Amino acid sequence: MKESLTAEAAIAPPKEPSRPGRTSADAARRRKRLVTLTRPWLLLAPALAVLGGLLLWPLVEVGKLSLQEYEVKFGGGVGTWVGFDNYANLLSHELLWRTVLPNTVFFAFACVVLTVAFGTAVALLLNRLGTIWRVICSTAIMAAWAMPAVTGTYVWVWLFAPEDGLMSRIAGGLGLIDPETTNWFTDRLAFYAIATLNVVHHGFPFVAITVLAGLMTVPKELYEAGMIDGASAWQRFWRITVPALRPIFLVVTILSTIWDFKVFTQIFLMPGGSGSNEDVMNLGVYSYIEAFAKDDYGSGAAAAVLLTLLLIAITLVYIRTLFRQGEEDL
Amino acid sequence: MRKFVIGAVSAAMVLGLAACGSDSDDEGGGGDALDGKGKTLDVWIMKGTNPDADPFFAKLNKEFEKKTGAKVNVEYQQWESAQRKFTTAIEGGPDQVPDVAEVGTTWVPQFAETGGLVDVTDEVEAAGLDQDLVEGLKDAGTLDGKQYGMPWYAGVRGLVYRKDVFDKHGLKPPTNWEELRDVALTLKEEEPDMIPFPVAGGAEMFAMPFVWGAGGDAAVQEGDTWKSAINSPESVEGLQFYTDLATKDGLSPAKVTTWREDEVAQEFTKGNVAMTISGNWTPKTFLDEAPELEGKIAAAPIPGQDGGMSPSFLGGSYLSTFDSDKKELAWEYVKMATTGKFAAEWAEQTNYFPGTNTELEKIAAEGDPLVEPFAKQMMEAGATVPKTTAYGEIQASQVVLKLVQSVLKGDASVQEAADKAAGEMDDIFAKSE
Amino acid sequence: MKRTSIASRVGLPAAVAGLLIFTLFPVYWMMSTALDPRASSRGSDVLPSGVSFEHFSRVWNEGDFDRYLLNSAIVGLGTILAAGVLALFAAVAVARFRFTFRTSVLIMILIVQMVPLEALVIPLFLQMRDYEMLNSLLGLTIVYIALSLPFAIWTLRGFVATVPKEVEEAAYIDGCSWPRMFWSVLLPLVAPGLVATSVFAFITAWNEFIFAYVFMQDSDKYTAAVGIYQFFGENDTAWGPVMASSTLVTLPVLIFFVIVQRRLASGLAAGAIKG
Repeated sequence: MKESLTAEAAIAPPKEPSRPGRTSADAARRRKRLVTLTRPWLLLAPALAVLGGLLLWPLVEVGKLSLQEYEVKFGGGVGTWVGFDNYANLLSHELLWRTVLPNTVFFAFACVVLTVAFGTAVALLLNRLGTIWRVICSTAIMAAWAMPAVTGTYVWVWLFAPEDGLMSRIAGGLGLIDPETTNWFTDRLAFYAIATLNVVHHGFPFVAITVLAGLMTVPKELYEAGMIDGASAWQRFWRITVPALRPIFLVVTILSTIWDFKVFTQIFLMPGGSGSNEDVMNLGVYSYIEAFAKDDYGSGAAAAVLLTLLLIAITLVYIRTLFRQGEEDL
Repeated sequence: MRKFVIGAVSAAMVLGLAACGSDSDDEGGGGDALDGKGKTLDVWIMKGTNPDADPFFAKLNKEFEKKTGAKVNVEYQQWESAQRKFTTAIEGGPDQVPDVAEVGTTWVPQFAETGGLVDVTDEVEAAGLDQDLVEGLKDAGTLDGKQYGMPWYAGVRGLVYRKDVFDKHGLKPPTNWEELRDVALTLKEEEPDMIPFPVAGGAEMFAMPFVWGAGGDAAVQEGDTWKSAINSPESVEGLQFYTDLATKDGLSPAKVTTWREDEVAQEFTKGNVAMTISGNWTPKTFLDEAPELEGKIAAAPIPGQDGGMSPSFLGGSYLSTFDSDKKELAWEYVKMATTGKFAAEWAEQTNYFPGTNTELEKIAAEGDPLVEPFAKQMMEAGATVPKTTAYGEIQASQVVLKLVQSVLKGDASVQEAADKAAGEMDDIFAKSE
Repeated sequence: MKRTSIASRVGLPAAVAGLLIFTLFPVYWMMSTALDPRASSRGSDVLPSGVSFEHFSRVWNEGDFDRYLLNSAIVGLGTILAAGVLALFAAVAVARFRFTFRTSVLIMILIVQMVPLEALVIPLFLQMRDYEMLNSLLGLTIVYIALSLPFAIWTLRGFVATVPKEVEEAAYIDGCSWPRMFWSVLLPLVAPGLVATSVFAFITAWNEFIFAYVFMQDSDKYTAAVGIYQFFGENDTAWGPVMASSTLVTLPVLIFFVIVQRRLASGLAAGAIKG
């Protein structure tokens, strides 16, 4: 059934010429088959070559590294095979289970939900605006995205600086906190609230722009039909927009998840985030310190592999749930 | 083991002066076998130590070219992530590393272990420089008796305070810990808008003088192995005194718990800090940033527990050569930059101290009140952290900072936090054996 | 959608205002600090203490930003062009053809970008050394192409999939060949997706720091993102120049977006006609 939907099949109606040359018809058919078989691979080849050479191969190297005790050496390091020692060490760390993983998972979850929800809401808003306001708003959104993450993080830290920052002043003025004794950054929850704000601020434009682009490809007739049927805006969103944009939601959700699990800079640069406050460590910072600051690349690679496995698991769950109801597959 | 750099200076000075005086100009040319024509030396220098380093290197490189015929290409590297760049370049091999590089003293053990840095012990001796090097600094770049480069410049932390504020309330710089506390308490009373003495949770080298000053240490060497000492009674006593300043006496508000040194410095220039531990390189930058503080800043050594001085971390940078095919030429360059007039000029422009006793003495003799106390601190009470790659890992894991911050946050007592830190240190020591 | 209820008359402007404040306040903070002559002691003042271009001129003159921005532009444009083309081909392949290993390929494309970049620095460095692509803008461009491809392929796959197959079939019935259908039917319809992916690819290339720094031996090949870091010292940070250089990095992305934004709108028009 799938095969019949492909372009090749669609333009290959069985219009057999009545020539008796059976072999030549066979040859033609075989050529057609060959084209059908090879065209997707030809189309994929350049992209796969780049990905294979620059990401997949180093990824294999990372996997090999995770089974080694690796020492940086002049002109190329030396690895000694140690089996699963690095993984065992990593998983036996109490800090990982008690602090690092919960921080990473909850933070990523909050960021993904907020980023996707807020980004989608903004996309719907933009879609309703007239041209001028849409240009203004989407340019403003782009500014949030374009601002380097490093700078953005410092700005948020600046705004929430205890006692002297604008937000602390406001909160102090409203009597919500005692500025003298409040340091947002030493409190786990407040720390991550600020980090979430930062990550969502920097991440939602990606969702908004992508979903907006998707909304623009949804045929207007579908909505008109929906309105004639008397569907409310809410119903139209769930019954028309969401199904039509399912592949796009899938990709923004998966990618947001991947990025938010890997968040490093935005945590590392916050006060206490670089490791001096264990309470706020996440997996990115943890593996960075274990591996790269301490020059233990084997452990770092093991942490990277674990993170990858975790993400693969989550991604598969997403794909399952998102495509369970629909008849389409991946 | 920490090393006190006591008296080494005066003893070495005479020798140093003699060595330097005789060969300052023609010694370098002695290597006439060195023809650098058509060659280019790649040099990596850390950005920001010298606010405007270009004129310095233009002059140095011109003179170097005159002498050897080789051109020099200086690339500035950024502290924020230079370590990554060095590590990858070392992995990449001789084609990727520079010929000469500025290497922070805390990085030397790590880079040396990879086999990338050239052991120049013999060269230093042959040039007659070995007696003239500031002891603690020389020590920092020497592993198993091999010296990996030339000390270039060094710095040490002392006490910096607001002279005008002290004068106004008839205060004198403290000479022991009790006075330090009393002075700070008076300041808290009299200047409620200022931070009397920041207990910065992000500044490792603010805490260490109190550990050392009480007779403790981060770790001690027993034979070939290292053992943590951060939870020894002495270390805990020092840390207790230091953190009590914030938690008991309220001399440092909650916001300071996460401050690093640069944030303390920033607040000092804003006029919000009355007295703080600060590097010898900072007073001049304070004045550049805030000219209105001119004449209002003074310095003193960090007081000892019962008088004298508390040891303070002696850190700095080396100029080292990498194992490339131009290493003789590179060494020539290192020698030129780290001795004589170029060393003096660099120190002056950067507000750091030079790495040779000869030049250090000259600076100390000038009697600048913003320099002299630091010179005294450096010569008489400079300390280094355990010199092993394992301690580098301990610093990278921020063990001491974790300790201080958890006490400041009220999560643990000093003893509890120190025990935890000691455990973590011992794990790392055990792993690296 | 020309409904004008009270809710939308009040709600829409309020939502727009809220959105603008949230998105722009940090940006405003960056830019105003860049203009503040006493940037480092700004504290919590909403307005800068004055307006001066001294930080910008320092960044421009000392910081070599003209060269860095040019490098960034070369790398950025190279990345979006190549990534756009490669991703579109690949997306068509996975969205329009059914073939063995299709799902595996799709999953693999996702997996390769799950590894933290930090972990890839050394393997990729050695890899690029062996390809003799270190210290070259081309090498850096190729790395960024690789970094932006997974997203681009997956997104474009979504866009290609939303184009009704009937549209394509209609083209065939009109006698189009496959390449012709691709060029004159599919391409215009996925144009908004291409815009989204090229914005993404551009920002990826534009803001990446660690590879841009580690791969280059000559500082005249640094990109603008690296340029920002030169103002973070060991002992102090020059906030004015940091914010000024960040502003200089942000502005070209905005300009780029304003240019391609028109495409986003024309993509809409194309979609509406064909749909």
